[in-house]
Amino acid sequence: MAQPDDIFHGLFGGILCTSAGSAISRVPKAGGAASTVRNLHFCLLVTRQNDWRVLPKPSLLCLAHMEHPAIQTYGLTRTFGELVAVNNVTFSVAPGQFFGFLGPNGAGKSTTIKMLTGLLEPTAGTVEILGRRFDASALELKRHIGVVPEGMALLGRLTAPEYLHFVGRMYGLDRQITAQRAEELLDFMQLGGNGRKLVTDFSHGMQKKLALAAAVIHGPKVLFLDEPFEGVDAIAAGMLKTMLQGMIQRGATIFLTTHVLEIVERLCSHVAIIHKGRLVANGSLEELRAGVAASLPGAEGGQRLTLEEMFLSIVGAGGMEPAQELSWLA
Amino acid sequence: MAGLAGADVREAGESGAGWVPIGGGVLCPLARTQYAALATMRWQAFRNGLHSTRGALEAAASGLNYLLYGFMALGITAGLGGGAYYMASKGQWLVMPVLLWALFAMWQMMPLVMAASQQQFDLNGLLRFPMGFAPFFVLHVVFGLIDSSTIFGALGCFGIWAGVTLADPGLFGWAAAAMAVFAVFNLLLSRAVFAWFDRWLGQRKTREVMSVLFFAVLLGLQFLNPALREKKHPKQVTERQRATLLRNLAWAETAQSWLPPGLGIATLERADGGQPAAALGYLSLLGLYGLGAGLLLSVRLRAEHRGENLSDASAVRGTERRANGVSARESAGGLAALGGSGPIGAMIEKDARTMIRSLPLLYAIGAPLLMVLVLASLLHGTRFSHGGAFPVALPLCIAYAALGFTQLIYNNLGTEGAGIQLLFLSPTPMRTVLLAKNIFHAMLFVLVALTAGVLTVLRLGAPSAPWLAATAAWLVFALPAHLTVGNILSLTMPHRVNLSRVGRHLGGQAIALFSMLVQLGILAVGAATVGLCLLFGDLWLATPVLLALAVVTFIVWLRVLANADAMANRHRDELLAALVKTD
Repeated sequence: MAQPDDIFHGLFGGILCTSAGSAISRVPKAGGAASTVRNLHFCLLVTRQNDWRVLPKPSLLCLAHMEHPAIQTYGLTRTFGELVAVNNVTFSVAPGQFFGFLGPNGAGKSTTIKMLTGLLEPTAGTVEILGRRFDASALELKRHIGVVPEGMALLGRLTAPEYLHFVGRMYGLDRQITAQRAEELLDFMQLGGNGRKLVTDFSHGMQKKLALAAAVIHGPKVLFLDEPFEGVDAIAAGMLKTMLQGMIQRGATIFLTTHVLEIVERLCSHVAIIHKGRLVANGSLEELRAGVAASLPGAEGGQRLTLEEMFLSIVGAGGMEPAQELSWLA
Repeated sequence: MAGLAGADVREAGESGAGWVPIGGGVLCPLARTQYAALATMRWQAFRNGLHSTRGALEAAASGLNYLLYGFMALGITAGLGGGAYYMASKGQWLVMPVLLWALFAMWQMMPLVMAASQQQFDLNGLLRFPMGFAPFFVLHVVFGLIDSSTIFGALGCFGIWAGVTLADPGLFGWAAAAMAVFAVFNLLLSRAVFAWFDRWLGQRKTREVMSVLFFAVLLGLQFLNPALREKKHPKQVTERQRATLLRNLAWAETAQSWLPPGLGIATLERADGGQPAAALGYLSLLGLYGLGAGLLLSVRLRAEHRGENLSDASAVRGTERRANGVSARESAGGLAALGGSGPIGAMIEKDARTMIRSLPLLYAIGAPLLMVLVLASLLHGTRFSHGGAFPVALPLCIAYAALGFTQLIYNNLGTEGAGIQLLFLSPTPMRTVLLAKNIFHAMLFVLVALTAGVLTVLRLGAPSAPWLAATAAWLVFALPAHLTVGNILSLTMPHRVNLSRVGRHLGGQAIALFSMLVQLGILAVGAATVGLCLLFGDLWLATPVLLALAVVTFIVWLRVLANADAMANRHRDELLAALVKTD
């Protein structure tokens, strides 16, 4: 049976979607996409494996973006002087996908995230979020994306509720909703009992949880997470995973970068790997597995490759071996 | 492509209620909400800061600073007002632009000179929110309004307006308009200069180019000194030279009359002469300059708003790639020789490299030196340059030059940032770390004192032997005193220094005030000693007295250094909180 993550090809209210999410045939535009969705009573979902199922009506609202990928880049490039940090990267992330973006240190992951969230201008190429070009609709799109910025960008002299109120208001939420969501988020993240404690006095893990709470307070459609589980304890990490999976079920898209490959393997349905600024792999975990297995002579015996093995195979661990052994290390 | 309207997106996953409508205008509902959120946030941060002793100290220091600035500003306002009144009542419109030029220079230089001791909120951190360019621009200008240079400048404009109006009430409206436009021009230009300066400091390459330029200017000024000294003995001016001078002066006057200060006064002059159309023309031209300054600021801010990133890491990676083959062993040479191969040498090398690559630090040391030159030039030709009063100028100038050490000596761990953890983890005791920093700062102090001394002597002539000896002895006393207080403040009230930004240093107000007070105290001790010795009729006495005081401060410095580890351990939490954790 198809899973929500399998939304590649879909017959959706008369729209036949391709794997890239763009429409081959479309419904008349008279009522607009959303009203068309509202008038439907079911949606027929066709997956890549030609499996199908009928989705219930509540899911239809989540699928309103089926016409467009949640994230689409075309030839995304960023240079810093002579250094090409991101080189002609093109990929697409379908709505509702939990997408893992992997790469070794300095590969261009953070630069890509900054370009996807409008914090860094691409040297060349375009970014589309929810079907709209970022450079043309930055204001509207920023309201629908959530991001934990580099360094978390917390304000140390505020308390946690004050910080969340500030962020909510900056996103344009009204006071009442902001207050309500801030309280819920603080309870969920178990940060509620910290009274007048300032953010600067929080532990790293607590700051991370607060930064995540701030990134989702406005209910983003697309969430960008850069190492979200770093420094977070096991209990909180479990809660966060539950929260993120809940977001996916309600139709959000999550773009995750992390070096903990087990997390990616457990959470993500699709993975892209960037190496030295170039996209070297992109697809579902099974596709990647099949591709790597085909290229490895010894892996044909039905042995299931882990993501770590696939990652090392793709980025070429051999090239990163130290030039000499550090024999003086104990 | 169909695209999704904002409303569609809201309906698809978010209730339309609860959202402030989006818009990019200066006063659109979203912008108003964001202004309110920022104002609330700033107030809450200030209020929360008062809950800690350090925060209260910071607030008190800020209050005292503003009080001090207030008095200074009142003095400037009164001076400019008096000057404007005198010149307007005498109809000396030709000379009056001098007032506006002085105001202009102060307005543009002050943000850079005072950046180190002022708190600036990094507005670029707001770019992750849906903030339009217009509100972003407005916030940059509004944050400039609470800058001390704007307060000084605005009060100066008010003074000139009041002076002109008192001299000729008929010019009330014109003076108000001219001064308002001049103030807007200066505000926008100072924000633009600050933004561009910050942009150049944002990348290592441009930062290094600026450092070279900066030193070129410093050297140039030193070459200027002997040239100025020659003018002490002016030769007979021939008629031809006089004619050339007058021609040059006339050219300079014409040129300045088309620049903002000249245009401001030309507006008043024409209005006074009953030529309202011409006055309006000059005022419009001044307005155009304001528009130009706004455009300059807009170009910079638009780049930041679009997502310009001046990543040092990336630039460094590029440099490293080019410099392929230079091993760590090779790069450790050069500066390492400053302090040997042990931890002291390593620390001195690190601090020297940090300083060379940090324009704000170089600027902090160099700017007071420039002011010494100005100060010496001001005293030149007065009674200070002849007879016994001159030597007072030497310690004064050297003390002024030492002002640049505020950031270095009084917050000597500030540049460590998160690296303070390494210092706590390493087997090197904190006293060794501080000793290394003290040695490095002492070398710089001696270098700056010598430069300031040479500059002063070149401008004002050599002092007598007892004055020279007393000054040298005072320096020997002042250095360990600075280092002692600096070590204590560095361990108890540190604040993180962002070397790639001008004026982004939180928590520097109290230290700035303390250091100022200590420097005044050290100067007062020197002055009192010299005064008493002069009273007893033998200035030579001052040297042994100051040397004895130097021995005492040296012993205190040694004791503080010996206790550095205990003190660092006692204040470890605060040190880590201030240098490692979130601002």
